Amino acid sequence: MSYRPIKEIGEVYLTDEGMTFHEVSDTVCGVTERKAPRNWWIAFFIAASFTGVLGAAIGYLFWQGVGVWGNNAPVYWAWDITNFVWWIGIGHAGTLISAVLFIFRQKWRTAINRAAEAMTIFAVICALMFPGIHVGRVWFAYYMFPIPNQMALWPNFKSPLIWDLFAVSTYFTVSLLFWYSGLIPDFALMRDRAMGMTGRQGKIRRMVYGALALGWRGSNRHWQHYERMYLILAALSTPLVLSVHSVVSFDFATSVVPGWHTTIFPPYFVAGAIFSGFAMVMTLMIITRAVYGMKSIITIRHLELMNKIIMLTGSLVGYAYAMEFFIAAYSGNEYERYVFMNRAFGPYKWAYWTMITCNVVVPQVFWVKRMRTSIPVMFAVSILVNIGMWFERFVIIVTSLHRDFLPSSWGYYRPTLVDMGIYSGTLGFFFTCFLLFIRWVPMVAIAEVKGVLPQADPHDASVHEEEEESHGGHEPEPEAAE
Amino acid sequence: MSKRKPFPTLPDTAPTAKKVWKSLEEKRDPKPAAEAATKEFISPISLTRRGLLGFGASTAALATSGCLRRPIEHIYPYTKAPEYVIPGVADHYATILPRRGEVVGVLVESHEGRPTKVEGNEEHPTSLGSADVLLQAATMDLYDADRSTDVREKGKKSDWAAFDKAFAAILKTSQADGGARVRILSRPSSSPTFVRLRAQAKDKYPHARAHWFAPVAESGSREGSRVAFGQAVVARYNYAFAKAIVSLDADFLHGEQGALHATKGFVRGRRMDRPSDPMSRLYVAEPSLTVTGSNADDRIRVAASDIDSLVRALAAELTTRGVELGAIKDVVATAKPPEGSEAFVKAAADDLVANKGKSAVVAGRRQPSHVHALVHAINTALDNVGRTTSYAPVVDVTEPADLGADLKALADDIDQNKVDVLIILGGNPVFDAPGDIKLAEKLDKVPTTIHLASHFDETSEHCTWHLPLAHELETWGDGRAFDATYSIQQPLIAPLHGGRSAIEILANLTDEAPKGHDLVRTTFRERAAVPSRFEGAWKTAVRLGLDAGSNSVQFEAHATLDEVAAAITKAPLTKPITASNMEVTFSPCNKLHDGASANNPWLLEVPDPITKIVWDNAALLSPTTAKALGIESQDVISISREGSPAIEVAVWIQPGQADNSIGLSLGWGRQNVGRYGNARGFHVSPLRSSKSMDMLDGVKVSKAGKTYKVVQTQDHDRMEGRPLAIDATVDEYKANPNFVLFPGDRKEEVDIGPLHRELERPGSVTPKTQPLWDRVKYEGHKWGMTIDLNACTGCNACVVACIAENNIAFVGKEQVFRGREMHWIRVDRYYVGESEENPEVAFQPVACVQCEEAPCENVCPVNATIHSEEGLNDMAYNRCIGTRYCANNCPYKVRRFNFLEWRGPEGAQQRVQDMYQDIPETEKMAFNPNVTVRMRGVMEKCTYCVQRIEEAKIGARRESRAIAPNEIKTACQQTCPADAIVFGDLNNPKSEVSRQNRSDRGYALLAVLGTHPRTTHLGKIRNPSPALRKHAKPSEVKREGGSGETPK
Repeated sequence: MSYRPIKEIGEVYLTDEGMTFHEVSDTVCGVTERKAPRNWWIAFFIAASFTGVLGAAIGYLFWQGVGVWGNNAPVYWAWDITNFVWWIGIGHAGTLISAVLFIFRQKWRTAINRAAEAMTIFAVICALMFPGIHVGRVWFAYYMFPIPNQMALWPNFKSPLIWDLFAVSTYFTVSLLFWYSGLIPDFALMRDRAMGMTGRQGKIRRMVYGALALGWRGSNRHWQHYERMYLILAALSTPLVLSVHSVVSFDFATSVVPGWHTTIFPPYFVAGAIFSGFAMVMTLMIITRAVYGMKSIITIRHLELMNKIIMLTGSLVGYAYAMEFFIAAYSGNEYERYVFMNRAFGPYKWAYWTMITCNVVVPQVFWVKRMRTSIPVMFAVSILVNIGMWFERFVIIVTSLHRDFLPSSWGYYRPTLVDMGIYSGTLGFFFTCFLLFIRWVPMVAIAEVKGVLPQADPHDASVHEEEEESHGGHEPEPEAAE
Repeated sequence: MSKRKPFPTLPDTAPTAKKVWKSLEEKRDPKPAAEAATKEFISPISLTRRGLLGFGASTAALATSGCLRRPIEHIYPYTKAPEYVIPGVADHYATILPRRGEVVGVLVESHEGRPTKVEGNEEHPTSLGSADVLLQAATMDLYDADRSTDVREKGKKSDWAAFDKAFAAILKTSQADGGARVRILSRPSSSPTFVRLRAQAKDKYPHARAHWFAPVAESGSREGSRVAFGQAVVARYNYAFAKAIVSLDADFLHGEQGALHATKGFVRGRRMDRPSDPMSRLYVAEPSLTVTGSNADDRIRVAASDIDSLVRALAAELTTRGVELGAIKDVVATAKPPEGSEAFVKAAADDLVANKGKSAVVAGRRQPSHVHALVHAINTALDNVGRTTSYAPVVDVTEPADLGADLKALADDIDQNKVDVLIILGGNPVFDAPGDIKLAEKLDKVPTTIHLASHFDETSEHCTWHLPLAHELETWGDGRAFDATYSIQQPLIAPLHGGRSAIEILANLTDEAPKGHDLVRTTFRERAAVPSRFEGAWKTAVRLGLDAGSNSVQFEAHATLDEVAAAITKAPLTKPITASNMEVTFSPCNKLHDGASANNPWLLEVPDPITKIVWDNAALLSPTTAKALGIESQDVISISREGSPAIEVAVWIQPGQADNSIGLSLGWGRQNVGRYGNARGFHVSPLRSSKSMDMLDGVKVSKAGKTYKVVQTQDHDRMEGRPLAIDATVDEYKANPNFVLFPGDRKEEVDIGPLHRELERPGSVTPKTQPLWDRVKYEGHKWGMTIDLNACTGCNACVVACIAENNIAFVGKEQVFRGREMHWIRVDRYYVGESEENPEVAFQPVACVQCEEAPCENVCPVNATIHSEEGLNDMAYNRCIGTRYCANNCPYKVRRFNFLEWRGPEGAQQRVQDMYQDIPETEKMAFNPNVTVRMRGVMEKCTYCVQRIEEAKIGARRESRAIAPNEIKTACQQTCPADAIVFGDLNNPKSEVSRQNRSDRGYALLAVLGTHPRTTHLGKIRNPSPALRKHAKPSEVKREGGSGETPK
């Protein structure tokens, strides 16, 4: 007899019918236990090579100075901060999926939250790199931290860059904790599965996963505390989703630069961040589910729901673009007006129209159900959205700076090879981290997925005793925290 | 180190010798090892006790012999009272720097014997306390690391002793025939010592001949004055008193002689403190837009060759208005002005007649002699002599009328094998000579050529002997300024590379000892009226840098109209310039002048005042001509003319350029000058002809099929309707004294916090909403600045002064292309008006305006830029980590970031594509010790010369007094020939800055942002001729609200 999984929105099961606890464990843990497929190695090699490029480019940058980039006067910030904001934006989806959807009890998140959170962590690491490396004198970057020092000087708390530093590092810390705490039951499962393994590999796995599992035994008390903590962290993370990108947007919004000095920025940045984050999750999930055969856990239904969010946030962003123009026109401020006309029709119009096409026009295909359930289409869209969102930051930063108040000081920005090397390097670093993650860490939240199986539902009529294969697989109590 | 013998080894041959050996090598051949044993302490000098004493004694002797010079050659006040020399406190010495046949008086700042900064000498009539671009850059010339350091014979290193010996021998053989086969080629000089020595040499070598050559000379004006007055004179115009000025191809504010003095006077004649103040009107007719032309009230574009017909037409118009021009009247009666200039000529004539005795007509050096003669005649007829013009005799009356012809004569003599010895004293004639002379080939034919030059340059390569020329700051000399002021040049430092001056070389041909100091003193002694007072007079003259009252030789001369008429009759009009008869004009570069300083990176990187091009020159074409020829900016064209080799030059399309006239600037394209100057720009001299040095018609232009990257510091020329450099005509100013404000906007005292009110000075709509916090009251000093756009001529002297004062790095062409130039002050140049062919120009110097509510300050995460209690926006370099956020948030874009280590080996590669390793030692000597040298990764910007403020504060505190109202001068203010920049304490009502700050014309740049800048700009006033203003010119500046404030 087959079991039917829990139904959610739209009365569709969240996993394929007939999944058992054991199958879930096997599917997910198996990835880390088997030898890595050839494709993983190829991908890892490529990604690691780009990480090498990143290292080399950063080394060169540190040796020579920021001048190896194309940044100039007046475009003092260019790809560096563009990349920073882009990565931060990508880092948004993880927490949103984990925390916000958790609090709103959107069960469909279980299939994707782990990978999304991992993506968040890695994206935020990539992002955090930039404030560090973009400064002129990296060896003094620690001046930004409030460390008691002989100069008796604190950082300038009026500076949005300091807010930024705190916001992003807080976000990183909470995201990491949230991710790790979610991993504890799964690490315990991995540890337990390693009990049967022989040889060196088994020993290492038992040690490492044992340490990472922090002595998790799956006892009722453990689950009690775990659920409570998870909910608290989710509640803590939720405002962060809004705050991080709002604060990032303050870097621009509190300045006097026309095109930056805009009150619409915080919500607009948050919407954009969710937009790009979801797109990046899509890109990754589509690949991993195909490569590792997780179609029964990460279903088309999940992807379709994600696509709807992409369409929604894409339209929000489009609204913001339009509203910026309206405000500029309505304000009567000639500098504002000029900046926006210059964006659309000036020397960087190619960047602007790339952004509009990718961010506003392309996601509209998801109005059609066939499109939002087609894997090739959604993959293409997710890539385009990320390109578009990168251009959005580029447009905001570079086109605003390159022509501001005094026409005598107008300029033009051209990237250098080092700019490109560092950007592609962060992509390489990101994928290296992600590949290592899917290699060694359960990429789906096993315990949570089990929680949405019908067997976990005490009221499901079809349920009967299911043999448990391990302590770690102890069924969670989904509604522990009332 | 004793000379102890090594332990004696028994000779191998000794029968009882026991073989002792350390290695196989030693065993086989013990000699090297034994030798090595004596050299345990390897020393370049093998020192014994005696040797050491001897070495010490000779060092001491050398040291004392160095000091011996002091008691003989007085440098005041150092040797007189050396105890006053306080380490860390700079001394200033008066001296002069030469400029194309004249000298300019300067004060040079010296830190412990190291000249670091040139400033104007207030006592000197040529400078009146100001200095120009070239003078400001003189210290970098002095410390040029590529200056020649060695005497060279046929390119190989030699020394002065060898040269002196050889030279003595040469002179001895030459004396036999009276020096018949000796030639001396020098630049035109105003140095009485030089002229005196040459005359003496002539006595000793009666058959030797002197020749003169300079790429930029005053041939036309000298000859013109000779025609008009019967003797060569230098004309001096008093622009302060002139109400109507007509400039005919004369860039008297920048490129002509006496430009500093002219600028001072010109600006004084236009200073508008209130609408009722009188203002002069400047008419300019010229081929290329010059600094003068961009300050014109009415300007037309006329090809240089057509100025002749224009000035004749002007004379004709004047005669019809009753100006008595005698015989000239008939000669010019039929003259027609060049096409399109009829109205201009009429309007100018009207104004000249209306301002008889208060006007000035001035012709450019490029113009032929009869144009100058006619201009002198017009000035005479207009009763201007003695009022706005006066004349001074030239120093060197032997200088020929036509330097091109003179050089040609020398070349011909060489061809006819009449020259054995050619002594070239200064200059680089091979590079500068017109192409038809082919001087390089000629020099190779002369058996002995001696070239005294600062660099081993293009000429030195073709000479037997190359002698390093000492810089003017290293040697004694003298000179007469353009107004005949006798001035003394005293050295500030011993020659860095052992060079000698021209007079020291020339003295070898006379009986005098070749010592600069003595030579100058002898000249001075001959001048001294009372021999017994000589010492006192000498000391005074050295201290002041000039002999006071020596310019009393100025006189009033009245042109002989008949002579002028005869000269004009003899000079036929040239063919008018049309598309089929194009012309080229040669001008001294606005920054490099004639190219003597072509290796000066400060000059190379400072933008041209008009084109804003850096590190290159270009052929300037008008938009129409370029369109007709199908040429774009940065295309390379080939310009050719019969009899001259073709040259290739990159094109720059320049508004204001006359159609069918190509503007070329001299001094570029050097191949052998040094690391910075080599292969920069285009060498245009080959196109010149010895017959007509400065303008040529009948040239052919073709595309060379290449492009060349030309880099500007400012590539956007329009204000986009923004209220930035605000201007108005005199009438508009009279109608609305507050024209800099927006309609309905008022200057008013406003509350800026409890019990504190301040004059609000909006320039665009000032935010009416005051900040949420109380604005800071500045109760002590409140430093501020005003920049008068009406005075600023755009010459860029302030930029170079700032570079020299504040140790500002240069970055190279490629980095400027990337927008990374480091200049703390820049002169924005905007074109105003609809016309692309002949727009009006507005200059606006912008440095950090020291906002009271500075946007840069609150965005810095590390508090590296903060406000001082005197209101300065300070930069703490060692706190800066280089986030660059401040620069993004600076609306004035005056912050500069050290993207790379401009001064280290890596940065050096970035800044100039040369391969040298580190900043040269000599360049380091140019640094101002009072200003931090910034490293890479640090933001920097104008500090209002905080080091000068602090120096003044310390001085005042030490003397227990208050700082005088106008005591502190920033470097830019100090050098500004136009006095456009005023700095001081806004809280001191007696200060000039607080007076100017309250001017009607004062406005705060971008006031709409609420930044409350401390620098106030004063609006520009134009005084165009009403006759030429048929329709009201639409003003560029929209008087429109910026932030929701509704005008009207």
